[in-house]
Amino acid sequence: MASIASTGASARQRAALRLLGRRLVQAVPLLLGVVVINFCLIQLAPGSFLELMTAENQVSDPATVELLRKTYGLDDPIWMQLLKYIWALLHFDFGFSYRQNMPVIEAIGVHLPATLLLMVSSITLAMTVGVAAGVVASMKVRTFWDSLVSVAAMFFYAAPSFWLGIMLIVLFSVKLGWLPVGGMATIGGDGGMLDILHHLILPTLALGLFYAAIYTRVMRSSMLEVSQADFVRTARAKGLSRNKVTIAHVLRNALLPVVTILGVQMGTVLAGSVVIESVFSWPGIGSLLFDSVSSRNYPVVLGIMVLGSLVVIVANIAVDLIYMWLDPRIEIR
Amino acid sequence: MTANFLIGRRLFGAGIAATGLVGSMTTSFAQAPKKGGTLVATWGGGEPQACYVPAGGGSSPTFSSSQLFERLASRNMNGDFEGELAESWKPAADFKSYTVKIRKGVKFHDGKDMGVDDVVYSINEIWKKYAAASALTDFAGVEAPDADTVVVKFTKPVPEFFFASLLCGTVNYIVPKHIYAGSDPVTNPANNAPIATGPYKFKEWVRGSHFEYVRNDAYWRNGFPYLDRLIIRYVRDPAGRAAAMEAGDIQIGVFNPVAPPDIKRLTATGKFVATDKGYEESVWATTMECNTRNPIFAKREVREAMFFAVDRNLIAKTVYYGYARPGTGPIFSPNKTFFTKDTFSTAFDPKKAAALLDAAGYPKKGKDPRFTVNLLAAGWFAENGKIGAIVKQGLEDVGVRVNLTVPDRPTSLKRIYTDYDFDIAISNQANPSEPVPSTTQYFTSDGIKKGIPFRNASGFHTDEVDGLVEKIKVETDPAKRKALVVEFQKIASKEAPNLPLVELQSITVASTKVQNHSNDPNYLAASWHDIWLS
Repeated sequence: MASIASTGASARQRAALRLLGRRLVQAVPLLLGVVVINFCLIQLAPGSFLELMTAENQVSDPATVELLRKTYGLDDPIWMQLLKYIWALLHFDFGFSYRQNMPVIEAIGVHLPATLLLMVSSITLAMTVGVAAGVVASMKVRTFWDSLVSVAAMFFYAAPSFWLGIMLIVLFSVKLGWLPVGGMATIGGDGGMLDILHHLILPTLALGLFYAAIYTRVMRSSMLEVSQADFVRTARAKGLSRNKVTIAHVLRNALLPVVTILGVQMGTVLAGSVVIESVFSWPGIGSLLFDSVSSRNYPVVLGIMVLGSLVVIVANIAVDLIYMWLDPRIEIR
Repeated sequence: MTANFLIGRRLFGAGIAATGLVGSMTTSFAQAPKKGGTLVATWGGGEPQACYVPAGGGSSPTFSSSQLFERLASRNMNGDFEGELAESWKPAADFKSYTVKIRKGVKFHDGKDMGVDDVVYSINEIWKKYAAASALTDFAGVEAPDADTVVVKFTKPVPEFFFASLLCGTVNYIVPKHIYAGSDPVTNPANNAPIATGPYKFKEWVRGSHFEYVRNDAYWRNGFPYLDRLIIRYVRDPAGRAAAMEAGDIQIGVFNPVAPPDIKRLTATGKFVATDKGYEESVWATTMECNTRNPIFAKREVREAMFFAVDRNLIAKTVYYGYARPGTGPIFSPNKTFFTKDTFSTAFDPKKAAALLDAAGYPKKGKDPRFTVNLLAAGWFAENGKIGAIVKQGLEDVGVRVNLTVPDRPTSLKRIYTDYDFDIAISNQANPSEPVPSTTQYFTSDGIKKGIPFRNASGFHTDEVDGLVEKIKVETDPAKRKALVVEFQKIASKEAPNLPLVELQSITVASTKVQNHSNDPNYLAASWHDIWLS
């Protein structure tokens, strides 16, 4: 039996590796598509960073403007600019940000950890609260608790995250004085982990509760659906306790749609952070992206798009692997 | 300077005019200044692209660099010029050169002495090439005959007011030659961690969050600054700024930091004051610019009619909540030196507008419009779009069909200043007292520079105005010069290619603990050496 089990485990590992390899190969044209589409979309936007540069720097000499155009390669045809960008990307060169006066990868690197921290904490909160609330609602279906969870989920789903953020600030920072208004750490403080966590609470709530509401709704309906399945009836017939059936059999299978949504929503969580970072002065990539779009800072916008795509691709590969772990039948297909 | 256009003025809709400015600012004079403490400040815009931008770079880097760098001179609230890093300056008899005595005993933050070499380098390499490029057209050179003196030379006579204004230009700083020489000033790493002579020393920039400055113990003004630390914090959202102020995280916000209802609410607590002082040298206006390349707008009567058709009081009351006033001419009314009321002005009069359009050869024929206008409201300020809607309504009431667009900032810049793709543009200006070149360049032929923002986009120019501005540039007698500027205002107001719809008031909100603030006519660009916390 041990031999059969180990053979099964190694088969799953091989299947997982095959899946990983397939996904990585698929990621190449996907990334290329992201680069090409975003590059073209940005080119379609009227105006360029050159106009902003000359406005901000009061450049009054047309010759200087032409020199800048040449310096930044804007005198090349669009297709040439695209090819140059792809070639540079292949050498892990994301370009130079004229605005921050530093390489794009450095400009993004300054802000990326803050955004990743906010994303991870928000997703963790959303998954934890969403799954737990969905399970409770499904186990107490058509009771007060089910209604309470449903109303709360509807509220957090409907409430705009920027409004929720401001309300949280008013309540917990201004009125109660329990939590900081914004920022990532106390200015002049030690910048320790506890201090950062203290600052992280409100933005995490503002961003995460929206997704928690979605997961709650999906989890509840998924739990109710799976609990009607034959294998659950069989498990009950075998005399397993209700909690054991719920946790070991229903929950595991009901998680599949939630995991699917999680993978799909990684991109939207990144986008949502743009708003939340603005409300809470969180020094993440959202504010950098906002500034870069409004200043037509193409290299930074493209860099963030490419890195954002990478995050989504990696998250989706992780989701696929989690899928295989949750439902071993997937490896067979 | 129009470089200030980048300021985030979403909050121009300030609405406390009905209640008046609130709070008391007299406590600063009743108490002795107290040393120490950390002041956290913010402003109504975003984080700068660099702590210091040699060419200015807009209001944000001006704000972040003004407590670190210093200029040769400054202007006080009475309108008088005062020496800063210069002790004095004196024109030659022909006004073609100025002798500037440089202050002794001034040190940079790294301990090196500031001297004439730094001044010469700054004027030659920073002012002439970047910071004051458009003003220094007649610059002939600068030299240092001795260790305390520099002589600035020009090819033409330069009025004293012009020269003094140049010395206290917003970003006409004295930078350390030993840091910048031999490098590209625009990309010098020191721009993100400046070394200068100001009352505060750069300590840290946490990108996306704040700057931290500490007291410069070797500052040349003995006993200053009072503060131990100055933090400039960036909060993008105005509601977030208001909450941070209320929670005590931020003590002062300049340039419309919070929304009008929050100004009222904060000051009602008795813990905050609001003031419109500190903006006398940086008055903003929302302008209406007609493209004279379009044959319709080449006619003066049509341009005049546009201004008669728009209810500027309505704009001031609704869009800016009363925190603006109708503009009259190209020199804004707070300009104590040059403003004159004695100009042609337009009040809201649709009948007169219609009559002018009839006389110009564009009568209304039944339901058909007189003509169609491509109205562009520059989207860098949200208020411009609202004003665009009011202008559209006004023009349509007199029979002009209007296609209104509100493009974002880069698109607006391209359409107005590169493509000239507009008939009427709603835009903005912020001008200092000296009209040359910041104000005059909107009306002269040398201001027409395709692709160069915040110049003459209307295409308007006449030999008369060009000649008049040339005279203003070189007239050294203050009374005669003022007369020439008055003449310029009269012509520009009558020709109406580009006039202010409204002049805007800006607001500072500060905790009552913050003392001695808003005491400079451009407080956003002041050194803040004498601000203190009670």
